[in-house]
Amino acid sequence: MSSDLAFALRGVSAAAGNTFALRDVTFALPTGYVMGLIGANGAGKTTTIRCLLGMYPIDAGEIELLGHRAPEPVALRQDVGVVLDHTYLVGDWRLVEVERTLRPFYNRWDGARYRQLLDEFGLDPRAKVKDLSRGMAMKLMIAVALSHQARLLILDEPTSGLDPVSRDELIGIVGDFLLDEGHSVLFSTHITSDLDRIGDYLTILHGGRVVRTGTKDEILEAYRVVRGGPDDLDDRVGVELIGVRRTQTGAQALVRTEEADLLSGDVLVEPPTLEEIAVHIGARVPHRDPDHRADRRQPDSSMSARRVA
Amino acid sequence: MTTVARMAVLDLRTVWPYRYYSLAVFGLGVLVFASRPMWMVPGLVLLFTSQIAPYPFNVADKAGLETLYAVLPLSRRSVLYGHYAWATACFVVTATAGTALALAFARVQAVPLGDRTLVPMLTLSWALFAVNIAIQFPLLVRFGYTRVSVLGTTLPLAAVVGTVYKLQLNMASIQNWLPLLGAAGVAAIVVSAAVATTVDRRRVRYGRSVSST
Repeated sequence: MSSDLAFALRGVSAAAGNTFALRDVTFALPTGYVMGLIGANGAGKTTTIRCLLGMYPIDAGEIELLGHRAPEPVALRQDVGVVLDHTYLVGDWRLVEVERTLRPFYNRWDGARYRQLLDEFGLDPRAKVKDLSRGMAMKLMIAVALSHQARLLILDEPTSGLDPVSRDELIGIVGDFLLDEGHSVLFSTHITSDLDRIGDYLTILHGGRVVRTGTKDEILEAYRVVRGGPDDLDDRVGVELIGVRRTQTGAQALVRTEEADLLSGDVLVEPPTLEEIAVHIGARVPHRDPDHRADRRQPDSSMSARRVA
Repeated sequence: MTTVARMAVLDLRTVWPYRYYSLAVFGLGVLVFASRPMWMVPGLVLLFTSQIAPYPFNVADKAGLETLYAVLPLSRRSVLYGHYAWATACFVVTATAGTALALAFARVQAVPLGDRTLVPMLTLSWALFAVNIAIQFPLLVRFGYTRVSVLGTTLPLAAVVGTVYKLQLNMASIQNWLPLLGAAGVAAIVVSAAVATTVDRRRVRYGRSVSST
């Protein structure tokens, strides 16, 4: 076990009925960093998180969480804060009752911190959970996660459905959490702009497989976006075009950087944004055959990045 | 406090916002059995406990508390045993309050209600409660409250009441069976908890928790 890893998944596969929800998923996050988990709806982000939390059984592979191989000791959950895209508290509880209810389960529960966070987030302790807006509910879940002094924060699409102001606040809160070097974050989202600010590492999932994992810079460097006329991007270009999108006036696709030089001068080749990478990879029809190029690729899990202060 | 006890307290806090509904059910039971103090405790146990003990499953279904249980530092075994501890606590409170009320009503109505009646009454109540819960809980654990619905809580209750009626049970007829009834109740709970632990593994694998990707 590597104690310097916040978590690691190695060759994890998980079945869902007769198909695989995850297949041979491998990636890891060093302690002290933020990993963004991106992919379209149904890519396997939530399943990956559920496997990591032991809420979804795996059929193959190995999971390591905070230095313990799964199934990890139950006590390890003291160190993991979980924020999902929905609350999992009784709607009729008032926020003061949330604290009374959860406090007995956590050895390091800090009631003063909880009340301070409620105050900072503008949450009324007398309010009921069911009366909170979506943004407020997310803040409540983060307040809970931070009040038991978690070392690893796992957020599953916490920003989806939030207005830009709430999203910005939430990203700021996560940034503050990371001021402690022992803290790490796994942040699943399909809003890639969230990760522009705080993402150190990225893992791109598609069809239950890891398409690419590595530092944000490595992933941005791994692809190029190509633009051309409607007929410029077809099978004759000689390289694999990822997620081709055509309109009446032009076409756009993603290519691997090492193949970009093979393209003719008729097309425009540019560095992509995270959004473009996510969109083009998400636009691909999921390939389940093991011979697909992206599937054969060994996930790049080099850990050379340093967190950007 | 052990994790099982913490889980039982969590069940209490889960139903706490709905305490007025619980009190209404309890009050209804008291009214129904006010004229028959001897049957006050078995009646309250069947009417009140059979509705309130499974109520955390109902709230859990609506609020997604299975996710909370998975996130809290609690083993699945503690969660399941905590549900049984909560139900048993419900029985103890109901039996205690019911006994006090039965004695009060008996005194007002000048009905004799001594140890020879109270002990069989409480033992029978325990057995009825235990068999009812023993049937209900594995169903609730496996399928959840929503899928089991009202049938899952009323059918076991009807079966228990029907059995009592069929056997023509009364306080005199069960005098010789008290130790057996008490032990049968304990055995029913223990077996039920073991069954619930087994079926819970299937729920985790194929239940609601795996539906989302």
